[in-house]
Amino acid sequence: MRRAWTVASVAWLELLRRKEIYVLLILLGTMLFALVSMNIFGLGSVVGFVKDAGLLAAWLFGWILIVNCASRQLPQEEKRGTILPLLAKPIRRGELIVGKWLGAWSAVATAVVTFYLLTLAVVWIHGGKFDLLTLLQALILHLAALGIVAALAVALSTRLNQDAAATLTYVASATMFMLVPRVPELAANAVGWRQTCLLILYGILPHFELFDMRRRAVHQFGPMSWPVFAAILVYGAIVITILLLLAWLGFHAKRFSRSNQD
Amino acid sequence: MQAAIDIKDLSVTFTTAAGPVHALQNLTLSVPEGGVFGFLGPNGAGKTTAMHVLLGFVEATSGSATILGTDVGQSIARQRIGYLAEHPNTYRFLTGRELLRAAGQLFLIPRSELAERIERLLDQLDLASAGDRRVGTYSRGMLQRICVAEALINDPELVILDEPTSGLDPLGRGLIRDIIADLKSRGKTVFFSSHELSEVELVCDSLAILNKGQLVAQGPADTLVPEGERLERFFMQTISKADAAGGEDA
Repeated sequence: MRRAWTVASVAWLELLRRKEIYVLLILLGTMLFALVSMNIFGLGSVVGFVKDAGLLAAWLFGWILIVNCASRQLPQEEKRGTILPLLAKPIRRGELIVGKWLGAWSAVATAVVTFYLLTLAVVWIHGGKFDLLTLLQALILHLAALGIVAALAVALSTRLNQDAAATLTYVASATMFMLVPRVPELAANAVGWRQTCLLILYGILPHFELFDMRRRAVHQFGPMSWPVFAAILVYGAIVITILLLLAWLGFHAKRFSRSNQD
Repeated sequence: MQAAIDIKDLSVTFTTAAGPVHALQNLTLSVPEGGVFGFLGPNGAGKTTAMHVLLGFVEATSGSATILGTDVGQSIARQRIGYLAEHPNTYRFLTGRELLRAAGQLFLIPRSELAERIERLLDQLDLASAGDRRVGTYSRGMLQRICVAEALINDPELVILDEPTSGLDPLGRGLIRDIIADLKSRGKTVFFSSHELSEVELVCDSLAILNKGQLVAQGPADTLVPEGERLERFFMQTISKADAAGGEDA
């Protein structure tokens, strides 16, 4: 596991030095500042709108960062020719997969925590407040969802190039986020094998909607019960483990040669 | 004495759209511990494929290979190996010291020992003053040297160099030659492939020549190459004979 940490720390340094995080952070800050100072939509209760916009932006920016960061980890090693010296060291391919996932996820998680803190600060400065316990739950579940997206991107990138893996991860995660909650409704109106297929899909696809607590946080509905919260986290851990196992299956026997580096 | 590299009946077949390609055919090779072993052959002979099998990048279709007594399929086999790729590249966003630290951590070298090794290697390769600069700002020669340092961070028993002088200027070649000589003087085994036969002639104790995936000559350099004959001429004759024999067989 120490080797996986080393791989993760290198991924961390790369993300920090690529400066994408800073750009998004400045963008988020500017957006929140503009919303508060100009009241551009003429809304009376602008603080509530800032809460909503801030958390939405944190989800959007976190999603963009995690897909880009996680999907490039392995393909870039091949493209720049660093995969061979890396695999020539006594690291197992499974450790490499875990390290890459951990590096991408932990770096983006740090950025997302910063986004939340920035939103919290802007809301607080303008006299609003969040229920902190609810916000903490929302943040933790958000980070778990990012872990699933990162694992999906890493799994796809073991067999696809960076662009294809990123595109597919964007499409798959957005589709699952928006369509999976609607599947029971569709299943209720379907019959026979169609209904069975829809229910199987509903069972096996990741349920990102479970991790989205923005409404609770914005409208102060209060925290969810801890057993439910823990169950969702366990569910997230299971999905991440399955996706990382799929990544390992795609990567453990992959052959590397100079032709991979073109 | 245990062989540094022991390859038995190794075959590698790649499946391509145009049909199967036999990159290696029943290769059997033993590289003794200590000394410099030159692994020669024309382009496409299978040298890099053989090295990639030894490093675990490619799985053999049949046969076996061990490194320092350990099967190449086990990641622990790479604990005592250093490897320099044909076109060395590395993480350009890291500084030289960060790069060597990360490489050393992958070998689980204790922190204090690692710090000492990093400084020694940076000194030895004349990179001490550039150690805190990002590798992306290095010249090509410096990049080659930091990659050499990365390959040697674990003080390897066996160093595998794939075309180490390819594309280097005379200074770079001299550096590689000095490193090979230094490793040899410390009792390490160096296994390297090269097209630069004049370089091979200068440093090798033993040789093997590969052609179309098959071993066509092997032995100590001083007995394999007839006295007074240049390695280049011997190499050309050996390949021509092997091609002719292959043609007759066909």
